[in-house]
Amino acid sequence: MDIRVDKDACVGCGLCVKDCPMHVYELQDNVSVPVRPNNCMGCLSCHEICPAQALEHRGIYPARRHYIDIKVCEMLRKVI
Amino acid sequence: MSAGYIDELHEAFHSDLVYRAEEIPLECSPRPKEMEQTLHGVMKLNGLVIRSLEEIAGRGANAVTYRAGKKFGHEVAQYFQKREDVEGALHELSDLLRGQYSFEVWKPEDKETFIIEENGETFIYLVFHDCIVRQTLRRNGLDQGGPLCQTLFGYVVGAIEEITGRKAKLEIVHTGPNACLKKLVLK
Ligand code: SF4
Ligand code: SF4
Repeated sequence: MDIRVDKDACVGCGLCVKDCPMHVYELQDNVSVPVRPNNCMGCLSCHEICPAQALEHRGIYPARRHYIDIKVCEMLRKVI
Repeated sequence: MSAGYIDELHEAFHSDLVYRAEEIPLECSPRPKEMEQTLHGVMKLNGLVIRSLEEIAGRGANAVTYRAGKKFGHEVAQYFQKREDVEGALHELSDLLRGQYSFEVWKPEDKETFIIEENGETFIYLVFHDCIVRQTLRRNGLDQGGPLCQTLFGYVVGAIEEITGRKAKLEIVHTGPNACLKKLVLK
């Protein structure tokens, strides 16, 4: 797994370090560093928790997303 | 109610198709794309049932849904091939769950094998990728790991027990928006 952290965006809150069950991240000089990327199983809960949207995973399997309502998205696209 | 509206309804539910007794439909209708509203309806309904069950039964809700799932797992898996080896059983399970759930056997970097022995326990990590339960919970803004997840737990445990003839237990290690890590404990 290729995990990248946007160093400029990361605020060093450490939420990803605490949240990841596989201890993939460590805080180094107030920035999150993915020290064990091969331990990542792709849950993406770190993405959900990161307030700075600083994380990027490459080579992940995207689970099917049935919960997205196409009609609502179409409406949103019209106004955004 | 106006006569015009009733005629309109009548029109909507009328067709010139001829159905004969021996004709069994071979395909779903309508096409899957047009079924989105149905899927959302089912997800909403499931979410509401689970929310109400939690409100009334509290923590007991988990026991109810786990048991329901387990029964379902036993029932469905009885028609599958019996396997004594865990690998074969997981293969059968993945066929059984296809379309609703997909999972892979997983291990952390520092483990040598997929069957892990730790603190007197033998277990296998399963990463669930596609999961209709997760989709339903997110559709309804409900937390993961609650009674609806217990249905899937029961289902997997019931199916594994039926296929292998051994007792099993499934534990949640972590839930995420894209995948969940579970531990299948073999007894
Ligand atoms: S996706 Fe999950 S396992 Fe991977 S780094 Fe994020 S929290 Fe950890
Ligand atoms: S959660 Fe985001 S902002 Fe906080 S340390 Fe991790 S990467 Fe940085």
